[in-house]
Amino acid sequence: MPEESYNPSPIGNPSVLARRNWLQTKLVIFIGKHTPKCREMVRILSQSMDEPMPLMMRIKKRIHFLICCWCQRYEEQLRYIHETARQFPEHADEASSAIFHSDTKERIKRKLVEQAG
Amino acid sequence: MNFRARGCNVYEGISDVSIWKHKPADELRIMTKSTIQSAAERWVDDHGECLYRFALIRVRKPEVAEDLVQETFLAAVRGYEKFSGRSSERTWLCGILKHKIVDYFRKLRREPSFTDLEFFSDECLGKFVSIGFWNHEKGPKEWKPEPDEVMHRAEFWQTMRDCLSKLPQKVRDVFTMREMDDVPSKEICAILSISDSNLRVMLHRVRMALRECLEMNWFETIGKS
Repeated sequence: MPEESYNPSPIGNPSVLARRNWLQTKLVIFIGKHTPKCREMVRILSQSMDEPMPLMMRIKKRIHFLICCWCQRYEEQLRYIHETARQFPEHADEASSAIFHSDTKERIKRKLVEQAG
Repeated sequence: MNFRARGCNVYEGISDVSIWKHKPADELRIMTKSTIQSAAERWVDDHGECLYRFALIRVRKPEVAEDLVQETFLAAVRGYEKFSGRSSERTWLCGILKHKIVDYFRKLRREPSFTDLEFFSDECLGKFVSIGFWNHEKGPKEWKPEPDEVMHRAEFWQTMRDCLSKLPQKVRDVFTMREMDDVPSKEICAILSISDSNLRVMLHRVRMALRECLEMNWFETIGKS
């Protein structure tokens, strides 16, 4: 199967490099060949949320982002989800309408008083 | 020292003015039964609802959630001396609750369920073209308005909860332990009896699914309105 070239159309592609001229076309194809494909990149980006990314991969990622604004967005959005997920517990009362019954509150208060005593 | 300015409003309701002259660790030693009682009661009133709702979202069983909240408050009274006042009272209590939830899951130690395996088979079809690059039509869209502007709205947190509730139970537990409780990957593998590679795949899938759910149900909706 002949290799499909990346980004056949520059229309609507807001990436830094998007085959807008001869030089960009050459660069896009070169970068596309020598950095992970997006399907792989999103796995690597997810993994980088849990463990540090090796230096060489960080460089490849930065270069890949030049031809792919979608992977860059993906990374930004993963970081955003990470940040909001961390804050979720403190906003749980806004996220849910479950009732914390007053008799349960009283039971817990009694337990606390017992413990304090 | 202005403890309130440091987010430490635990001193509200404590009438003994002499307490204010001491650091929190010293305060514990001079706190009387009645001051502990009044502080603890206020914790239950101010933060009980939040802790209970978070626990319920995580464990899905009201009676278990209630027990976890009670254990959290009891641990808070016992470990009050450890509360330095650097974080807010709610953050501190949430931190204790997160540990209680992880302990709960540690005791459960479940086997993989069918729905979890089903979740693995979803390969995000159509998102990538055959050679592995994003399908430009279906790639991540820009999130407008800016995330920081919308995350302080209650509706956002409701959408987040709804998106989480759509996930299979085990992958949701994996995500919440890793992202909300900040449990190290190795510990999650041990708690849920899964391999390291399974964990990576699950986290990858759950992040992708959650990202898409938030985009569809929050950012696209907000952008249009």
